[in-house]
Amino acid sequence: MDEKEMFVNAYRTMVLARTLDKKIVTAQRQGRVGFYTPTMGQEALQVGMSMALEKDDLIYEYYRDVPFMLHRGVPLETLIDQIMGNSMDNEKGRQMPSHYSAKEYNFMSVQSPVATNLPLAVGAGYAIKYRKKKNIVVTTFGDGSTSTPDFHAAMNMAAVFDLPVVFLCENNKWAISLPVEKQTKVEIWKKAEAYGMRGLKVDGNDLFAMYEVAKAEVEKTRNTGEPVLIEAVSYRMGPHSTSDDPSKYRTDTIPEGSEGDPIVIAEKKLKEKGYIDDAQIENIKNEAKELVDRKFEEREKVPPPKPESMFQDVYENPTWIIEEEKGDIL
Amino acid sequence: MSSKQLNMVQAINSTLDSFMARDDSIILLGEDIGKDGGVFRVTDGLQAKYGTERVIDTPLVELGIVGMAIGMAVSGLRPVPEIQFQDFIFTAFDQLVNQAAKMRYRSGGSYNVPMVLRTPYGGGIKGGLYHSQSGEAYFAHTAGLTVISPSNPYDAKGLLSASLKYNDPVIFLEPKRLYRSIKNDVPDEDYEVPIGKASLVHEGDDLTFVTYGSMVPLVLNTVSKNNLNADVIDLRTIMPYDGETILNSVKKTGKVIIVHEAPRTLGMGSEISAFIAERAIDYLMGPILRVTGPDTPFPYRLEDYYMPNETRILKAVRKLQEYR
Ligand SMILES: Cc1ncc(C[n+]2csc(CCOP(=O)(O)OP(=O)(O)O)c2C)c(N)n1
Ligand SMILES: [Mg+2]
Repeated sequence: MDEKEMFVNAYRTMVLARTLDKKIVTAQRQGRVGFYTPTMGQEALQVGMSMALEKDDLIYEYYRDVPFMLHRGVPLETLIDQIMGNSMDNEKGRQMPSHYSAKEYNFMSVQSPVATNLPLAVGAGYAIKYRKKKNIVVTTFGDGSTSTPDFHAAMNMAAVFDLPVVFLCENNKWAISLPVEKQTKVEIWKKAEAYGMRGLKVDGNDLFAMYEVAKAEVEKTRNTGEPVLIEAVSYRMGPHSTSDDPSKYRTDTIPEGSEGDPIVIAEKKLKEKGYIDDAQIENIKNEAKELVDRKFEEREKVPPPKPESMFQDVYENPTWIIEEEKGDIL
Repeated sequence: MSSKQLNMVQAINSTLDSFMARDDSIILLGEDIGKDGGVFRVTDGLQAKYGTERVIDTPLVELGIVGMAIGMAVSGLRPVPEIQFQDFIFTAFDQLVNQAAKMRYRSGGSYNVPMVLRTPYGGGIKGGLYHSQSGEAYFAHTAGLTVISPSNPYDAKGLLSASLKYNDPVIFLEPKRLYRSIKNDVPDEDYEVPIGKASLVHEGDDLTFVTYGSMVPLVLNTVSKNNLNADVIDLRTIMPYDGETILNSVKKTGKVIIVHEAPRTLGMGSEISAFIAERAIDYLMGPILRVTGPDTPFPYRLEDYYMPNETRILKAVRKLQEYR
């Protein structure tokens, strides 16, 4: 893929993710979806990172990584099925919306307790090093997640054992209602030094800047086997979740379509470079809308999981206890 | 058939050794387990034999050890993390309950965690509050975990062997009081003690003891010294416990005493007595009794009062003898 194609494709994914985001939020308000954590505002940093990766790299993502997943080829169906918790969902409808899983694309299943994916990513990095493979691990988390013991444990161990793990902090400035200034006294990227790893900050709202940094750092990690902490500075443009009302705790915003919107920033740069024009932008947006509407309607018709599936996958083989409980309930 | 007289430490060590020799996906990790061989010497000599990449001395961070092990397991390795004392596992509790235990379920079966977490537990070694706890009920209460506790070197090898082939997370609780106090004939060849199957270690008609771990030798001694005509069931697997063996015995004897070190309230004895009451109440000829640790923290100087002993077991036996 040449550079133009690569960036136009990245932009298309950002638009697709934004379109899906808005569709799900609207559907939630209409009672068609239970819950959702919007991604709006974090598209550029995720897609920029994804562009720098290889197919066999492993991702230990968190609940706000829809653009990342779409860019790596996870089908819209997979994401919508998870949001619906239907019988086609990879997770069999067991997790609340926004907790995706896509093993085929090397995405771990998302857990709720924040940052607990980080130590796992370190273990995955260890397995890579032990087996002398060349792939790397990327793990994502929010700014609030940097206060957890899991962040500390994972950063320390990745550095001590020299493991190929990219820690991508998606600093969207807020952890529900707590601004990042109240989360930590120092800038997040600076924490890397204390653990003995590379650390840097990048404008995560600028697709081009993000890609450049991601590409360079991923390459270094792949070649040296050493970890890195990248703080991608961004902004949570939407509410924390569909259950959240940000007007209770913040007045600053980046409205959609304004200058700070990563999609607007990308459009401007793509046009400057002559990669895209207004007609194509219009086209990409229309295509995304048509596709998302169509898929959404289609997936809504998928039936819910069968009740007996609730008793599967607790263990490889169900225990007599679970079998008995199944008999009592069904 | 060749065999050796081994204590539990030696049985576990030699089992790890033989599995590591043939399966390079088995990796041990924990605090001081390498050069030092572990504070109880259970992993002694294994780092020298298999190298620092397979027997990893980790930083001092339990949640990191467990979390890292889970990530390794998901990536196709078979990690055997050691938590130096079960008392220190609680910062890793979230990783066990929310990651290891739920991985298979939450991913719809896409990912699983073949990990055997070994940890010494229980009292009787003058360890005080923080080197004596019996936390099996915490783990048994978590869907997705399998909880095992051997009571002798033979079972330790057999249960560990089965665990190392099992595809879900195992909490392997080693009763540290028994580490060196009992020797068994342990066959050199491979064998497994199946997960989920109890062992009837003594047979009788009047009474059923249900117990596990460090309490098994105590109950057996009490039974033989006092000529009690009793079944003694060593659960071996705490979760899922072997309900069938328990019921068969209770239906024969009609009287049950459950013995464990862990505090009484909501201990395994609570679950087992509820299980018996639900299915065999018509066979019971007396109350289901529990002889357990009290609902206090584990005291240092007074640990002999904390631990169940022969006197307390006999008191329960006499109480049941009043029911005819
Ligand atoms: C351990 C834990 N505590 C609390 C919560 C509830 N919670 C969910 S998201 C969140 C804020 C996370 O903020 P951040 O890490 O910045 O990620 P963001 O949601 O902003 O992307 C909180 C407190 C949780 N999921 N996990
Ligand atoms: Mg945040």
